[in-house]
Amino acid sequence: MSRLLIVDDEANIRTLYAEELADEGHEVVTAASTAEAVDKLQTGVFDLAVLDIKLKNESGIELLQKLVKERHDMPVILCSAFSCYKDDFSAWLADGYVVKSSDLTELKQEIARVLAKKAQRSKAGL
Amino acid sequence: MDWECCWDRDVVEWGQCPNIREGDEDLLSSKQRRILEKCCDCERFKRDLSRFRESGHPLAPVFSLVHNEFQRQKNQIQSLASFLDNKSLEVRFLHELGSVLQSSVDLEEVLSVALTAITAGRGFGMNRAFLLMTDKERDHLQGYLAIGPRNFEEASNAWEEIARNDMDLQTLAQNFRVTKLSAERAKFHDILEQLSVPLSHHDNLLVRIMDAKQPVLIEDAFHNPDGDPAIAHLLGVDTFLLMPLISRNRRVGIIIADNCITHRRITEEDMRSLETFAFPVAFAIERAALYDRLQLELNRANEAGRKLREQQELIVRMEKMALVGRITSSIAHSIRNPLMIIGGFARSMLKNAPQDDPKRDFIESIVSEARQLEGVLDEILNYSDALYPTRDFWGVSHLVETVTRDLQHLVERNFSYSLNIPDDLPQVYVDFKQLSYCLRSILNATIDGRTDGHLVIRAHTDGDLVDLAVVDRERSVTEDELEEMLTPFSLVQDMRSGIGLALCRSMLEKQNIPFIVVAPPEGGITYTLKLPTRKEETP
Repeated sequence: MSRLLIVDDEANIRTLYAEELADEGHEVVTAASTAEAVDKLQTGVFDLAVLDIKLKNESGIELLQKLVKERHDMPVILCSAFSCYKDDFSAWLADGYVVKSSDLTELKQEIARVLAKKAQRSKAGL
Repeated sequence: MDWECCWDRDVVEWGQCPNIREGDEDLLSSKQRRILEKCCDCERFKRDLSRFRESGHPLAPVFSLVHNEFQRQKNQIQSLASFLDNKSLEVRFLHELGSVLQSSVDLEEVLSVALTAITAGRGFGMNRAFLLMTDKERDHLQGYLAIGPRNFEEASNAWEEIARNDMDLQTLAQNFRVTKLSAERAKFHDILEQLSVPLSHHDNLLVRIMDAKQPVLIEDAFHNPDGDPAIAHLLGVDTFLLMPLISRNRRVGIIIADNCITHRRITEEDMRSLETFAFPVAFAIERAALYDRLQLELNRANEAGRKLREQQELIVRMEKMALVGRITSSIAHSIRNPLMIIGGFARSMLKNAPQDDPKRDFIESIVSEARQLEGVLDEILNYSDALYPTRDFWGVSHLVETVTRDLQHLVERNFSYSLNIPDDLPQVYVDFKQLSYCLRSILNATIDGRTDGHLVIRAHTDGDLVDLAVVDRERSVTEDELEEMLTPFSLVQDMRSGIGLALCRSMLEKQNIPFIVVAPPEGGITYTLKLPTRKEETP
């Protein structure tokens, strides 16, 4: 079982992710803002974070940069309504990028892929 | 004493004085004028005077003295009058020349007038003239134009023609410019080519004359230490005049003139006359050359202005596009999240609903509709992306491979395709992202709703274009159906195929790429994209 942190400013999306990813066997913790996310990261250990990019007046990209610097062992997947950020250099720091969709299959596959990669790296002692 | 001359008669009859000719009739009765104008030069009068001297009259020597002095002064006056006439002709010629030179800013016209003036009989009457001009960019003096005959036969033909037509200088120059300029340039091409010297060669005769800014008459050039045998050999004469063209201390060029046909001696006076003429010519040549450059710069400035206007329009368009982009992004965010929540929860409910749940059909409808609306949203975002293409050179094989790789899941059915893309195709200048989208849309439109079939994707070079075609031999569509396929949002009730092909057409139009769809009545459908292999000037 993996412990996931979901960061999205939409309460319903957080609920949807939490339910769907819990069904996949993950333990899901949600945060509505970058401050809440940072707070939860300080108190808990997570295997992966899923970040929205547009967080009201905040930027998920900035949180991504902070996580890469401070929690480089935790992979991050960006999940956004905008496909254009795929071409943004700063978004390339993330381990995965998924455009939001009602069909969460792609997100689930991406989470599985990134976690498998992380497991491989741990096994290899990297 | 009987006098031979009629000086002592008040009136003479016609024929009595041998010096009175037609037009002098009034002298028959005007004794005083007759004596002054005719008698003083008359041999009979001189003999009368001699007899008078021999008579021993004391006034006879005085009279002879006065007569001689009168004759001397009369000759001097005639000489001065002749000189004055010549100078008047020269001034009139220079005035005519000056009028033409001052009024023209056309370099070819100025040069035609200048060289015609040097060689025309009513001008300076030289046989040939060569003009060398300085090329400031190359720092070189180079033969530019020449005029004149190359042999006696050609010369006599030209002079006969001039005499027959009796043209003034301007007409002569105009005639030369229109009918002979190119021919003369070609005729003297060999000599003009060799009359070339770097301006840095200050020991060269031509450069030396330009540096000195003074005309020089070179005589006996093969033996003259100040001459240049090479130039004399090239011109085929040993005497020629070198006239530097200087305007405001700038070295414009040099004129070489000679009398290679008539061998008439070139006098100091010829040289001085040409010197007077050289200044306005140099000034006119420089002015015309500057005007040419000005025209060139003006054209460049106009071209730059046109490009600037285009860029401004482009910027305005891009700003509008950016605004559209921002609006669509905002819409995307506003619509995609609720859609995702509706569809996502519906899927979640569907997953947990028992198979016999009567509400299952409703939930499935919500899932399906949400998915369809998400598709429409993707199309709209793609449409806004298509508003401004970013083009570069791409390989056709790479493009086709990228698209067909993405389509593997669609061909998992009984669908197959074959590729016929030659390796030696030139790269195409396109927006890769948009073209991938177009090709993908064509393939989607072809595959969608079918369980099996076969497609051919082929490409070949057609001049400056690469024709990329998708051929589906099994599908048939009517003209109306074809038009609907290519019209945006015409079938909003059936969004499964999306607005793909209509969007393709819009995207391709913006890249000036022809998109041709052919569906003959006997069946089959071929989509052809004519991809440019060269960068276009205009976007």
